[in-house]
Amino acid sequence: MSGFHRFSITMRMMFMCILILPVFAGLVGVLMPAFGFFPALGETAVSLKPFSQLFANDNIVTMSWLSFSTGIFATLLALGGALLLVAVFYQRAWLNRIQHLLSPLLVVPHAAAAIAFLFILSPSGWLARLFSDATAANPLPPDWAFPYDPYGFSIILALTLKELPFIFLMLLSTLSQPQIELKVKAYLKVAQSLGYSHITAFIKIVIPMIYPHIRMPLLAVLAFATANVEIPLILGPNDPPTLAVAVLRWFNNVDLSMRFQASAAAVLQLIVTLAALLFWYLGERGVAKCSPRILLSGTRQWSDMGLTLFAAVVIGVYALIALLLVGSVFTWSVATYWPYADMLPQGVTFIHWQTALRSLAVPLGNSVLLAFGVTVFAVILVLLALEGEVQMTKGMSPALARIDRSIMHITLYLPLLVPGVAFLFGLVWFQQMYFSSLTWLHLFVSHLIYVLPYVFISLAIAYRRIDPRYIKVAYGLGKTPLTVFFAVKLPMLVTPIAVAFALGLAISFSQYLPTLLSAGGNIATVTTEAVAAASGSSRRLSAVYVVVQIIMPLCGFILAWWLPNLFFKPSLQATPSSQGVKVYESNP
Amino acid sequence: MGFLYSANMQGATVQFHAWGGSAQVNGYLKWVSEQVEARYGIKVHHVKLADTSDAVSRVLAEKAAGNDNQGSVDLIWINGENFAAMSEHGLLLQNWVSQLANFPLTLPEKNTAMVTDFGLPTKGQEAPWGKAAMVFYYNQRYVSSPPKTLHELLQFAQRYPKRFSYPLPNDYLGISFLKYALLALNPDHRDVFYQPVTDTAFKQRSEVLWRFLDKLHPLMWKGGDYMVSQASTLQRLMSDGELLLAFSFTASEIPSAVKRYDLPQSIRTYAMQDGSIGNVHFIGIPFNSAHPEEAKTVVNFLLSPEAQAEKQKIAVWGDETVLDMAALNPMQQARFQSEPLHPSALPVSGIYQLLPEPHASWTDKLREAWFARYGERF
Repeated sequence: MSGFHRFSITMRMMFMCILILPVFAGLVGVLMPAFGFFPALGETAVSLKPFSQLFANDNIVTMSWLSFSTGIFATLLALGGALLLVAVFYQRAWLNRIQHLLSPLLVVPHAAAAIAFLFILSPSGWLARLFSDATAANPLPPDWAFPYDPYGFSIILALTLKELPFIFLMLLSTLSQPQIELKVKAYLKVAQSLGYSHITAFIKIVIPMIYPHIRMPLLAVLAFATANVEIPLILGPNDPPTLAVAVLRWFNNVDLSMRFQASAAAVLQLIVTLAALLFWYLGERGVAKCSPRILLSGTRQWSDMGLTLFAAVVIGVYALIALLLVGSVFTWSVATYWPYADMLPQGVTFIHWQTALRSLAVPLGNSVLLAFGVTVFAVILVLLALEGEVQMTKGMSPALARIDRSIMHITLYLPLLVPGVAFLFGLVWFQQMYFSSLTWLHLFVSHLIYVLPYVFISLAIAYRRIDPRYIKVAYGLGKTPLTVFFAVKLPMLVTPIAVAFALGLAISFSQYLPTLLSAGGNIATVTTEAVAAASGSSRRLSAVYVVVQIIMPLCGFILAWWLPNLFFKPSLQATPSSQGVKVYESNP
Repeated sequence: MGFLYSANMQGATVQFHAWGGSAQVNGYLKWVSEQVEARYGIKVHHVKLADTSDAVSRVLAEKAAGNDNQGSVDLIWINGENFAAMSEHGLLLQNWVSQLANFPLTLPEKNTAMVTDFGLPTKGQEAPWGKAAMVFYYNQRYVSSPPKTLHELLQFAQRYPKRFSYPLPNDYLGISFLKYALLALNPDHRDVFYQPVTDTAFKQRSEVLWRFLDKLHPLMWKGGDYMVSQASTLQRLMSDGELLLAFSFTASEIPSAVKRYDLPQSIRTYAMQDGSIGNVHFIGIPFNSAHPEEAKTVVNFLLSPEAQAEKQKIAVWGDETVLDMAALNPMQQARFQSEPLHPSALPVSGIYQLLPEPHASWTDKLREAWFARYGERF
């Protein structure tokens, strides 16, 4: 085994440690105060007092239910919508267009989406202005329930619209894997030759086949939806709020003894999220049990027309909302006076942009610096970890390799499945205890926890898809593993690396809770400033922050699509003189 | 002068933790940072807090972790219960305020509010920075005569249902509204509010407040089911016409918001005839600040006539100075002469009666009782 092999395997171990250790340390740091142990406040006796204090709260059931129900409904709706779109548009020209519409929405940070929703849902937003009584001399905005409605409909709506593109793109990415694509196309042909319509065949045959592949990302979406803070904080009710928001509020309460209750609530949040995952699992079992009757009924045609129409409506609504969101934040960001119910402001001004950009200079720098640092590290580590995986599983028995894969799989999703509010507070406590002055390091680690899984998932598909024949040929020509890695594999991965890089940047840009907690507010990023401004006094300033938040990740992706083509197209570079890439000659 | 500017101050960065939700305050602190860097070579970094308690938690966490001299907070903008909490847990540097060259300009012997924070003596743990009184503002486009007393406020709410609200009482402005209501509803028993609260006194005095709120809440925005958690949100709702009446602790933020298009031109500011709650806000230095000497230099600058006059300019922030004009020479006094008023600004000497903040113990009791009656603590 060469030094490079050993190195890459070590890096794979390190990769797993970075994902596992902070989550466990954080959970320990929350569990201790939840059971009454917090020496700093003079409590060293283990007790159940924090929990009894928590359950003495009249609203605890409502809060838990709000977290549970908004998460489940949003995930169900997003999954339903995404499956419908794929079923109707798979193998059709529109699929590409829809992908282009939805991809940018994927990278808009949750906080930005929530603030933008606040703009269109509020009684003085465009929707209300559109339906206002034009004849009244001084029309007043209506007093409707949105946003902040007590049942969390606003939260469900925002979460659904934000998660649908993610699930949709996960489905497409699964469908584009070569083995699956071949199988799907063949099965569809057979089904259609047996008289099944395109959409019915897709639903009956393809969905059961690809569902297992999107299961983990879907569970991650569900876990996120039940425990996220940004969306309910901005759009949700506050009497009571969702459990995650209550946890945040209790942790930040002036009364420091509330931390015990906050920790107990964080543990409860963990239980609520687990309950949602269990509920989903039972739902899956239920569907699996009932579905054969439907699948084998022999019905060749469900209403294809109806489904297509419905999918078209979904896409139309989506496009409309996207347009309204972007149009409305952009208009507010340059608005002068804008009395109700005028459709447009009285004038255009750049004063809000000037004010915002002056105060955003430092946060913008911080965001970019942090995101670049974290993403460069993440991409390098992930590439080495993937190489380590190849090296490690080479000599393994298939069974062992399978176990290794599933351990990796669970590790990857660990930070996405364990709610941030449940472990981040504990993690911050550990960070404070041992390295209190290394704020940037803490920030780096807490962002890395969230960036690594996405970078890994996005790169792994491309990495595992590399045609092994190239590698074999390179080894056959006497190249070392190091040379093969750098001269054969990496050049073939330039585009996926660039995309993973942009994704890493976007994930880091969008982090709210990890940034806020790890840096204790000392290092502001665009996202923390934007959330702070959302509760501030100026809707216009808040709009500027949202526009900046949307532009930042998009810049990353535009560069990711454009740069590789400009500089690194390996097939253009592969001239006989460039060393190590001669293999391309045999494969024009 | 009690301390010297040492050479090694050069290049230090003072972390100033202050609520960052107001463009005016942020702009002023940016000016402070430029001035202090030019004069003393000290950089001031404004850490913009969404909630001051975040910084309090931070210092506590550092104390818990045994960090006694490398703290990440050097200056903190506080008053009221955040001060009470920090003071109680020993999180503030002691007895440093009297060392400041500019502190005597506040004439603390005469103006006891400069050394009293919500009924608690400050014991040299925090220096006064500014003064504020509660003012109301309304939208003239829809409302011609705003309520002048608390009783008229209820009539207003009946006439314009769902167009008034106040923030939850864990917000500073929210609890201030409750205190105003409590004082306004008990005009003949004011003395009791300036002594530590007792159960009997509270029960006797609060009865009338609950009766009032029971009638007001169903008439409030969203039927009182959703109350904003931050005062600044009120201004945004006013700007949209969702509310027609709101209130603020900084009278000057209203005309400057109008000038920045954040409030409509039809906004007018006034003070209630049955009194305006008023108080002083302070700057503290945490016990474990990494740069205590630099921090004191910054606070001394904040108390200088120049910095105080800049702060009082309507175009800048409009926060009233804590300096006593009697302590200033004519040239220093000239700095404070005011500019012509914006139509939306509070008229000169518009405050009828300043109601001092009740003793801090009333605040906690009031908040707890409110949450026990109307909702859980968030």
